[in-house]
Amino acid sequence: MLPAEPPHNAGYMVAAYIVAPVILVGYLLSLVRRVRRVLR
Amino acid sequence: MTATERSARALTRRGLGISLVGLAGLAGVYLLAIGYTPIEARQGVAQKIFYLHVPAAWSALIAFALVGLSSAMYLWLHDPRLDRFAASSAEVGVAFSAIMLTTGPIWAKPIWGTWWTWDARLTLTLFLFFLFIGYLALRASLHDPAERARFSAVVGILGMLLVPFIHLSVYLFRTLHPQPVVLKPSAPSLPPEMLRTLLVSTVVFTVLYIGLVTLRYGLALAEDVRDEVMDAAG
Repeated sequence: MLPAEPPHNAGYMVAAYIVAPVILVGYLLSLVRRVRRVLR
Repeated sequence: MTATERSARALTRRGLGISLVGLAGLAGVYLLAIGYTPIEARQGVAQKIFYLHVPAAWSALIAFALVGLSSAMYLWLHDPRLDRFAASSAEVGVAFSAIMLTTGPIWAKPIWGTWWTWDARLTLTLFLFFLFIGYLALRASLHDPAERARFSAVVGILGMLLVPFIHLSVYLFRTLHPQPVVLKPSAPSLPPEMLRTLLVSTVVFTVLYIGLVTLRYGLALAEDVRDEVMDAAG
């Protein structure tokens, strides 16, 4: 018997791989903006 | 420019540099996850979300545990550096929790057939996230530094108490959430390629944690200098 083919669900991985850096870069940019405002 | 202000500037520069190294490392994790690790037979490509979700979860829980420890030490020593570190670690922990709480449901939908289920691990993690949002709101609402540090330290310690429950929740309660595959009494139950990618991602998230906390600590120091100057000016 042939092994079952893995499910096709790459779109979910793409979504997660976009969400994570968006959160990280968004937070990093917000920190940089706050630092600039305070240290002006 | 005062010595404290110079320290704040140096810390923010260092934190930004380390964070950028961490983001470059994250790009490397993507290359490893997509090009090096095999596709899991039953879960398909969606299983690769694991290389982001698990390190983000570990980093968030360690960040919140460190908030509790530094808060307890603050109540003992009254050193403002401990309070600044607790505030920085809490904010970075909330950012990592946001990654954990978004990538988790994105994985759950194709694997469980639902975005969310109110099982013990998920519910406790969501409560921990809300608790630290409350922690940050409490800090923002209090102006007196000593009062802010004391009150938030108590909340930080209470938040830390949830961390071991979350880790053990898959053993203590009936849950859909997968059992640990690395942090367990027996040897890790992962193929070597998956384990290596997971470990690399864990190192990258640790670098991101160090970079973001350093940057946030520098910001907290700069805010303290600004507040002192404004208070002195009346």
